[in-house]
Amino acid sequence: MFDKYGGFSVVSKIVLDLYERLLDDDDLGPFFDDVEFAKIVDHQTKFVSSVMGGPAAYTDNQIEKLHSHLAISGGHFDQLAAILAEVLKDHGVADEDAAEIVGAFAARRHLVVNR
Amino acid sequence: MSIEAINEQLLRAIGVGVALLDLSDLKFRFFNDTFKEWFSEIELGQQLGDVFPDIDAAGVRRALDEEGQFTGEASFRVRRRTMTIAMTVNPALDGKERVAVLVCQNISRIKELESMIDSYSMMVERNTREIKREKEQVEKLLLNMMPRSVYEEYKTFGVVTPRTYDHVAVLCLDFADFSGTVARQDPGVIVSELNDIYTAFDRIGDQFGCERIKTVGDLYITVAGMPDPSERSVQSISDAAVRFIRYLEQRNRSHPIDWNCRIGLASGSVIGSVVGVQKYIYDVFGPAVADAMRLREHAGLMEIVASEDFAARFGDDHPTVSAGEGRTADGKSVNLVRLLADTDAVGR
Repeated sequence: MFDKYGGFSVVSKIVLDLYERLLDDDDLGPFFDDVEFAKIVDHQTKFVSSVMGGPAAYTDNQIEKLHSHLAISGGHFDQLAAILAEVLKDHGVADEDAAEIVGAFAARRHLVVNR
Repeated sequence: MSIEAINEQLLRAIGVGVALLDLSDLKFRFFNDTFKEWFSEIELGQQLGDVFPDIDAAGVRRALDEEGQFTGEASFRVRRRTMTIAMTVNPALDGKERVAVLVCQNISRIKELESMIDSYSMMVERNTREIKREKEQVEKLLLNMMPRSVYEEYKTFGVVTPRTYDHVAVLCLDFADFSGTVARQDPGVIVSELNDIYTAFDRIGDQFGCERIKTVGDLYITVAGMPDPSERSVQSISDAAVRFIRYLEQRNRSHPIDWNCRIGLASGSVIGSVVGVQKYIYDVFGPAVADAMRLREHAGLMEIVASEDFAARFGDDHPTVSAGEGRTADGKSVNLVRLLADTDAVGR
């Protein structure tokens, strides 16, 4: 999928768009208040690349560690999934591919949502 | 509207942050709307250092005095975004007063892209390293299964052309009572022992220009004179055989398990090829291999057996004793000799 949609040149646009929309979101934005932007960008580049089958791999352990200090609720997670789906759609990712990407993201829900 | 008024309006409207500073104390005298948008708290009369805590005001002044210009970068937070601007300060005259013109360009997007490229490059570099490591492992594995020249052919063309090699010397070795040893010992111990021994054989073989072809359980086959022909293939394989025996004798003196081998040597033509498609393996077969296997059966414990014809080809390199009559793989009767390993003739 990573190559199908044009590799890094497309991923970079998706990442920057996702970054913009997350920061603008009233519920999700505050999670990034004290995070350096380079870190957010790094995280999102790896995240989007990995869910699109690009040259990145996040282990469950890494994802869990990265989010363990954040009070992420189920609602937050759903909201991010919705934003991600919207971004993918706006960048021309086909419905079935977008569903697969969001599905891969949703599969990691238990690692980030506080239980 | 006067030219001055038009200029001021233009300055206020452009997407570049522009401000005027008193050159003497670096206090703000003017800023346009873009500047005000970035620094909503800013007021006229504030100093440069109040707005940009990271910028060294003395440094700015020094650069203006010495180089006539100051350039720098500053990062700050606007809401939850990090904004980075590239700033240039140039001295100018406002009427008769000396002022500094501060021009700021928003380079946040460039910085974001730089971060993204950094992140992506690191991922790609890591992947490249992993691929390289995997490739090396595969290469190592394949080189364990076939000679390097064959591997190079396989790598380049994806196939290996079966080839007949003449005058190849073959050594076949197996261990006496292998089944009994396996039954008495832990499988892990057997594997580790064989690994040790075969590694030593490989090393010895390598020393004499032999190439191990395969091991099947306790059967070890190595050849000399292929894929590159060698006039000394018979000597090389005999030298290796003698060293194998010496190595085992020495090893048996200090290890709990006694390994007693039998070795058959022969020479002639063999065919070398990669066999199989999925589970491919480089193999050699042909008369010389069959003969070496058969003659090995005529060998006693820790003995090396070859035909008289074979022995004639290594001349005086190894002392031999007659070992009676035997049969080659095709049933031909031959006179056999036993190579004596307990001399210091090896390696001359």
